[in-house]
Amino acid sequence: MKKRSNLRLWSWIGVAVLGVSAFLYGSVSGGEPRTNAERAYALANDFACPVCQGQSVAQSDAVVARIMRRKIRTWVDEGRTKEYVRAQLVADFGEEIDYTPSATGITSLVWILPVVGAAGAVTGLFFMFRRWKLDSDFEASADDVALVEAARTDPT
Amino acid sequence: MSNSVMGAAAVALGLSASITGIVVVLMGLVGHRGSWKRETRWLVGIVTFAAVAAVVVMERALITRDFTVAFVAENGSTKTPALFNFATMWSALAGSILLWTVILAGYLVAVLVKFRNRQDDPMVGWAILTMLVVTTFFFALMLGPANPFRTFNPPIGFDGPGPNPLLQNNVLMAFHPPILYLGYVGFTVPFAFAISALVTGRVGEGWLLATRRWTVVAWGFLSLGIILGAWWSYETLGWGGYWAWDPVENASLLPWLTGTAFIHSVMVQERRGMLRVWNLSLVVATFSLTILGTFITRSGVLNSVHAFVESGVGPWILTFFGLIVIVSVALIAWRGDELRSPGRMDSAVSREGAFLANNVLFAAFAFVVLLGTVFPLIVEAVDGRSISVGNPYFDRMTMPIGFALLFLMGVAPVLPWRKASSGVLSQRLIGPAWFGAAVLVFSVLVGARGWAPLLAFTLGGFAAGASARQVIFATRRQGWRGLVGRTNGGMIVHLGVIMIAVAFAASNAYVRQDEFTLLPGDTATMSGHDLTYEGSTVIEYPNRNERVARIRIDGGQVYEPALATYPLAGQSINIPSVRSTPVDDIALSVLKYPEGADDAVVLRATIQPMIVWLWIGGLVIAIGTLMAVIPGTRRRPTDPVSAPVEELVV
Repeated sequence: MKKRSNLRLWSWIGVAVLGVSAFLYGSVSGGEPRTNAERAYALANDFACPVCQGQSVAQSDAVVARIMRRKIRTWVDEGRTKEYVRAQLVADFGEEIDYTPSATGITSLVWILPVVGAAGAVTGLFFMFRRWKLDSDFEASADDVALVEAARTDPT
Repeated sequence: MSNSVMGAAAVALGLSASITGIVVVLMGLVGHRGSWKRETRWLVGIVTFAAVAAVVVMERALITRDFTVAFVAENGSTKTPALFNFATMWSALAGSILLWTVILAGYLVAVLVKFRNRQDDPMVGWAILTMLVVTTFFFALMLGPANPFRTFNPPIGFDGPGPNPLLQNNVLMAFHPPILYLGYVGFTVPFAFAISALVTGRVGEGWLLATRRWTVVAWGFLSLGIILGAWWSYETLGWGGYWAWDPVENASLLPWLTGTAFIHSVMVQERRGMLRVWNLSLVVATFSLTILGTFITRSGVLNSVHAFVESGVGPWILTFFGLIVIVSVALIAWRGDELRSPGRMDSAVSREGAFLANNVLFAAFAFVVLLGTVFPLIVEAVDGRSISVGNPYFDRMTMPIGFALLFLMGVAPVLPWRKASSGVLSQRLIGPAWFGAAVLVFSVLVGARGWAPLLAFTLGGFAAGASARQVIFATRRQGWRGLVGRTNGGMIVHLGVIMIAVAFAASNAYVRQDEFTLLPGDTATMSGHDLTYEGSTVIEYPNRNERVARIRIDGGQVYEPALATYPLAGQSINIPSVRSTPVDDIALSVLKYPEGADDAVVLRATIQPMIVWLWIGGLVIAIGTLMAVIPGTRRRPTDPVSAPVEELVV
């Protein structure tokens, strides 16, 4: 039994070492660098097409979306930052096209509320488990034990 | 008699029969009328007859192109192909309400037939009454703002525009809405029994057992409907994606999330008598979210690529939604004392602990999706600003929840009820852990990079290992019966969900998209694939003209993305062409068609890995759901529900 237990422990150590090594290697080594087209596509997904019904700049075939995609690609080719692209597009087309709500003012609530909700849920669960644990921590009295014993031995 | 008159008569008959049904059942339940059971059967029959008759009349009007019916004049056309003409009924608001109603009537009959021997039971009576109330609402909508049988006076030679062109170029449109509605409407049954349980005070496990399979079936249809919708979007909209966190997509996801939580948490109540209020709340949330989704889709309050035109149904549906929530919450509050759970949880590391964590995560997921969907409305109402919430928000907020759920999918199936020892966990999880590590190593070897997709693949492998372990043990023990029943079928569903999660992670992380301007004979190279533009042609169809670009991929087969113009609708749409393999998809769409034969085409190419596994995952979910509703081997009541004592002390 102990031999099997040791074997399992080594198995867990093996899987942990293999998993962590492969994960670190795959996460840290960048692979092929992202092309400008890929960066531009990722950015175009972050903005709404201003004349469409629920489509992003990357998704839309509208003329304005194609112009925006070309602009984004030009900025990416020039080496501009994400923040620059965001500021330019918002200045030209308004806050409404930015799919990422600002983390300031009233819009910050969309980021904060889920975190507050999650914290509340975890706290609630903690107290619930604690209550269940307290409920279960009781000792049977001598009378209880005698009652159960009598019931068990009663031939009827 | 005209189609309009016959249709309106059928709707009026359905409404009258539904209202009469409510009165009759109510009188029967309070004991004033002995013959109510026979009368209810007749009235439900009339309701169903009326709904089916209204559908038949609508289809007749569409097939015969009866433009005196305004719905046909606005959405039908003599040029629309037969299949899409049939499906035109659910391509617009009033017809989709009609589809909803006929499916609801079908469920009503099914409930009556299934529980025919329990009609004396007030639980069944109140459930039928609740379903009749919902039916009444939908018939009333059709007599009010969503009347499908309004009349029209067509001028001589009139022809309608046909359905939205996007809805008539892919066969999936014929199946996606009815299947989705079978899911949406199916949740009416557990909701009705939940209300019935609250009214009758029988808030134990009876109503859960009565509706267990109904819930699973509704969930299965909803899952399949969502997957088919994503597939339709991918094959039709031409942007190379399948999920965009659009408000209408979110509206279908919300009841799926709460419904999934419910399917898991009912098991805790059945086994341990716990989570009574939570389960009632979940089933109420699921049903009310289907109604809220209907409001979002049909009221025009939110911009969506899928939304119907703005109409007057919004206030009606919102009022109904409010009514459902108020009545349900009031009933739960009224029964508060009786809803106290007799059971308690022994340990967080147990099957019920895992289900509880699963529920918290699904509830958090649903909260994030709901908040992100309605937040622009809230900000506009409070601050007067127009904002958008899209991909970056949803991806960032839901990704950790998705990881946690994948992890739980790996751990939960191996956990015993009540309490698990570290020895049991170590023994049961080592296989899945090795499988997860193997998947990770394989992913790295084939070139996958980035912590997020690698974590998704690892957890996917881990969860798949745990599900496969359960299925293998069950089939070894019970033969083919190891594949059926709730637990075993559920594991097959898990495998389908894992396929989708992994494909979702891979396709989002490694998507490549670019645009090319190509002259005939030019080749563009993208991610190792050669795309050669070979020329273009124009094809005339009765309802449209297609300007087709011929693109040869990797020197092999030619693919033909096109721009289709529908003259009657006055609209042009992109028809993408997709090359699918198990490894990756290349989706091509034309952004600018060449004016002359020698001019350049502007082409958009999107390459994504593993897309086909999304659809295969959907099929596996459907098969798993079917397996889950087939009765499996039952546990003997005297058998322990948790691990034997010797396992706990290992």
